[in-house]
Amino acid sequence: MKDILSVILILNSLSFLHGENDLNGSVVLSADNRLNGKSTQNAFGRARDISLKSTVRLVRNEKLIALGGIIHPAGYILTKASTCVGARNAETFDGKKYPLKIKKRFEESDLAIYQLISENKSFPVINWESENNATEGSWVIAAHPSLNEIRVGVKSGNSRKIEREGGVMGVLLINDNTEVSGVRISEVVPQAAAYRAGLLQDDIITHVDERRVKTQDSLIKIVGGKDPGDVVRIKLVRKKEIKNFVVTLGHRSVTFDLFNRNLQMSGPVSKRKDSFSLILQHDLPLPREAMGGPLFNLYGQCIGVNIARVDRVTMYALPTNESLKTIQSFLKQLP
Amino acid sequence: MNKLLNQIILFFSITGYCFCDVSISSPWESITPLNQKDLLDIQSRLQELLPNAKKALVSIETNDGVGSGVIVSEDGLVLTAAHVIGKTGQKMNVRLLNGKKVSAISLGGSEISDAGMLKITKKGKWPFSPIAKRDFSKIGDWCFAIGHPGGFNKKRGVVVRLGRIIGKNEDTLQSDSRLLGGDSGGPLFDFNGNIIAIHSRVSKQPDQNFHVPIECFHINWEFYKDQEILTFEKLKTQGFLGVACEKTDLGLKVNSVVEKSAAEKYGLQKGDFLISLDGEKLDSREELTILISLKKPDELISLEYRRDETELSVQLALGARP
Repeated sequence: MKDILSVILILNSLSFLHGENDLNGSVVLSADNRLNGKSTQNAFGRARDISLKSTVRLVRNEKLIALGGIIHPAGYILTKASTCVGARNAETFDGKKYPLKIKKRFEESDLAIYQLISENKSFPVINWESENNATEGSWVIAAHPSLNEIRVGVKSGNSRKIEREGGVMGVLLINDNTEVSGVRISEVVPQAAAYRAGLLQDDIITHVDERRVKTQDSLIKIVGGKDPGDVVRIKLVRKKEIKNFVVTLGHRSVTFDLFNRNLQMSGPVSKRKDSFSLILQHDLPLPREAMGGPLFNLYGQCIGVNIARVDRVTMYALPTNESLKTIQSFLKQLP
Repeated sequence: MNKLLNQIILFFSITGYCFCDVSISSPWESITPLNQKDLLDIQSRLQELLPNAKKALVSIETNDGVGSGVIVSEDGLVLTAAHVIGKTGQKMNVRLLNGKKVSAISLGGSEISDAGMLKITKKGKWPFSPIAKRDFSKIGDWCFAIGHPGGFNKKRGVVVRLGRIIGKNEDTLQSDSRLLGGDSGGPLFDFNGNIIAIHSRVSKQPDQNFHVPIECFHINWEFYKDQEILTFEKLKTQGFLGVACEKTDLGLKVNSVVEKSAAEKYGLQKGDFLISLDGEKLDSREELTILISLKKPDELISLEYRRDETELSVQLALGARP
């Protein structure tokens, strides 16, 4: 509270700028009536029920790793491929647990299909909305990972293509060396790909995959042409000695998140949040583990699959048409 | 005859008012939606207001980073946050909705409320948004935030977030529409399409964000526009009165008096209500601080205040900050 107007003001400024102050003492809107309060959630009625029943939790080692949507009554699940590697079990809204079997992965769109192993052939299936008529400011909802609440928000930005970001080694480079022609490492990002491979500050990189590199640009071009997870062979000069290393490339966004203040205050974000042919942007307050789950409109129709948590105000969903295009051939062969 | 006419008008306006209150009230007027129809009303109202609200939004690029702002007059006055502009008289670029850059200069503001202003220096007729009247917005109202989180991005466009006012006092408005760096200085609109606040700070809780209420701008408009930005640093060397106040319906109530301060020396007491300073009516704590910050230690001010129904006035010399 801003009390002793003049004396305390300076002290206050600290808490003030850090945004820690609450409106102590004054009346505030009850939690139930807020945008994501229970009362607002209840207004969604049938759409809420549909979203909770057709969403499942994917679990690995007792830990939630992603959500998924039921796309076929025989228990086929659509989810985000890169986050549910090794998913063993799934749980539905009624608390029932099922073993999981991987059916297919689609690397390009980052989607994957799993199946719940069960006698049940009448799981509640999502109803696709294929008109793509979600306009800016339209309500969107999705199940919260607890599967007993939903989260509500709006389509918040333009639908668009998200360009690919190449893999990175996690080094800062400089072109200033004189003795050896190559590219000097001015900084190694802690815990990133190059760090783990053993590269050090002041190493001078001379070759990448046997190709001679003399400038930053040529190095970045070779490395950037590869994807996260790809391997590059690095030849470098360290204290006049030639050394060889193998670096498994990381994700640009993850590697450089350390330097991004906005991401520091966003909490965990998705590793893969690039290279999508088309995304729908929304503002649902969902954790990273809620990706892979279906996104619904006000009428309970599925308008997309949540595919990336980018920061605390930005979620991407693959719109229904894009998702269906990807899984079409798989769906056709099902009974 | 005139009197009768007045009464009739009064009568009609009262019934009109009641009628509005009962029958035509819309779901966005402080009411939690009950069903799909209410939600649809909120959605279509938001979509109706969005295109115009966006037109006056700007992205502000300074040496220190990026923020947002909103144009509020045809000649290009922009409301933003003090921490976006930093200093008075700084040249900066403002990006319009279409991505076009125009030059601007920072005016003033105050670090107390985090309100700031700047002016587009290029001549032109700029699209602008209306600001809400004083004390118009209230807790529970639906609102929407727009801005450029993370900076301007033409393909993504303006980012909109829906929310409600969850708290409000004289120098802070809190909403549950989610914000990120780069949104700072952007506008929060009510469902009448008026600006009710300017984005200021985020809390660790993503659904509790802090905005500068438009009331701060109303009360200190001329000061923000014409004077240098008031910083906490500057306050240290300026005059010091020594009262802690709280805004009440009856005025600025003195909650405590600092020992050995000018206020104590000249007999101000806990429970007094401050009315005016040098003839300027006092509307908020921030205004009192601003008016005193314009004076040096030892400068004289005249203060009117009320104690137990009695209006008193005192000429006093300000002290220095302890």
